[in-house]
Amino acid sequence: MTRLARLDVSEYTNLANVARWFILLRWIAAAGVLLVLGTAAIAFRPALPLPALFSLAGILVILNLLFHLYFAVVKRGVLSKAELGVFFNVQICTDYLLLFFLVYLTGFLENPFTYFFVFHILLTAYIFSADLVFLYVGALVLVFAGTAAAEFLRLVPHFPLFPGSGPAYFGELLPRTIGVCATLAICGYLGTSIRKKLEEKAQRVEIELDRYKSLDRIKSNFLLQVTHELRGPLAAVNGYHEMITRGITGAVSPKTLEAVERAMRRTDNLLTMIDEMIDYAYMQTDRVPFEPVRTALRELIEANVELLAPQAQAKRIRVEMKCAPELRVCASRDLGNIIISNLLSNAVKYSPQGSTVVISAVQEAAEVCLEVKDQGIGMTPEEMQHIFEEFYRTRRAREIERDGTGLGLSIIKKSVEAIGGRITVASQVDKGTTFHIYFPEGERDGR
Amino acid sequence: MGGKILIIDDDSDILETTGSILAHEGFEIHTADSVERGLELTDKVSPDIVLLDIMFPESRTRGFDAAREIRSRHPHLPIIVLTAINREYAFDFTKEDIKAVEFLNKPVRTKKLVELIRRHLGG
Repeated sequence: MTRLARLDVSEYTNLANVARWFILLRWIAAAGVLLVLGTAAIAFRPALPLPALFSLAGILVILNLLFHLYFAVVKRGVLSKAELGVFFNVQICTDYLLLFFLVYLTGFLENPFTYFFVFHILLTAYIFSADLVFLYVGALVLVFAGTAAAEFLRLVPHFPLFPGSGPAYFGELLPRTIGVCATLAICGYLGTSIRKKLEEKAQRVEIELDRYKSLDRIKSNFLLQVTHELRGPLAAVNGYHEMITRGITGAVSPKTLEAVERAMRRTDNLLTMIDEMIDYAYMQTDRVPFEPVRTALRELIEANVELLAPQAQAKRIRVEMKCAPELRVCASRDLGNIIISNLLSNAVKYSPQGSTVVISAVQEAAEVCLEVKDQGIGMTPEEMQHIFEEFYRTRRAREIERDGTGLGLSIIKKSVEAIGGRITVASQVDKGTTFHIYFPEGERDGR
Repeated sequence: MGGKILIIDDDSDILETTGSILAHEGFEIHTADSVERGLELTDKVSPDIVLLDIMFPESRTRGFDAAREIRSRHPHLPIIVLTAINREYAFDFTKEDIKAVEFLNKPVRTKKLVELIRRHLGG
């Protein structure tokens, strides 16, 4: 019996919510019963045992009040699974009994509300194992068939729904009984089997999803490790190039010097691409911290402007910075750095010689808005629809800078989403592009 | 001004290039291609500053132990970590964990490296 009483639900079903829902449904049912009985008593004055019926409705109200108080006040909505199992069984038993007597006293099989047992069975099948559902349905069928037989044999009285419906009722009693019993049995079977099928499907989806997630994690970690390994050899290559350009290895011809400097530029690009892949792989792993830390925005901006200074100077691009020193944003340093370094590096990369890039930040209500504005090549509205897609690069971006992963903006977007912020972009071809990042503001106390 | 620098890295090319470039800047350079050799040289040549890698063939975080070891023997010796790991987050450690004074990503820009070394040598 303990096995039968055990609830049979997936871990995703919030049983407390189901209990709350049951109680609410019962309040609605009680209101419906009172409304129908009241209307019948006033308007039709049928030959029904109204005192008994109103007593049943009263019992329904009192019981549901008790259930409500037990659940919400005594237990404060927190019940163990075993307690919930007993709680649901008590509710289902009382519901079955009350509905049975309500129906019995109002014409029994004459009364179309007999079929409301279908809903009761579906609700039972929603939370209990098939064994228990069949037990309840079996008991119901026996009670229905037994009562019908007892009525037929005049062992118990029949309470006609309409005056004078008696003789016809007894003539139709057998098919009505078979109809109701068959409906209840089929409903019990369908309810449990449909639920079982749905659960099997859900389990399969869950297993597939887990497998996919773990594969994805392996892939991201692999990418993270591999890209790291690439930096070592690149550092050595850069080192030798630098030894040559500094004349440490001996005098070199201007032509050799130019060739080596070109090689250095390409290895710099390669390094940027590797960093983008590392950031991308990082965003795909489960290592991204979500704890809301407060970070001084100005320090982040300054550090990134300084890092980018050589590239900006090489193109005589002026990088202007406007940010109040007290501004704090709700983002880890890593994510903040990823966002700002990628935005600035794009702005410098796609701006013409001698232009200006402005990075500014202001407080806007509960958010901090970071703006990065350039006077670069800009984008068409059609291109703007795709810029946050992975590996997408505009045609002109590819012309200006051959090396690139097309991951930068997708990384920025993922980082912004990770901290619960927003990103918007406005752009005009040959006029420039402006990105706005809205950071949630860090809480004022603590850092 | 000069200063004694010990570079500990298992990559001989990094030892060669970083060593040559820093020697060209006027520093006295000692190199070690393993943590053991590095610890030995730390005691023997008493460097003014140590440049340390983190990933070694024996383990991806061997440099961690090396830093702790050096710190326990020479509490005031500045350690600059130079590593291919370009973001601290990637391997879940911080500058404090490594007991380093600075944390730089390879490839390092010479200007920045020299600046840092001079700052820590009090120049």
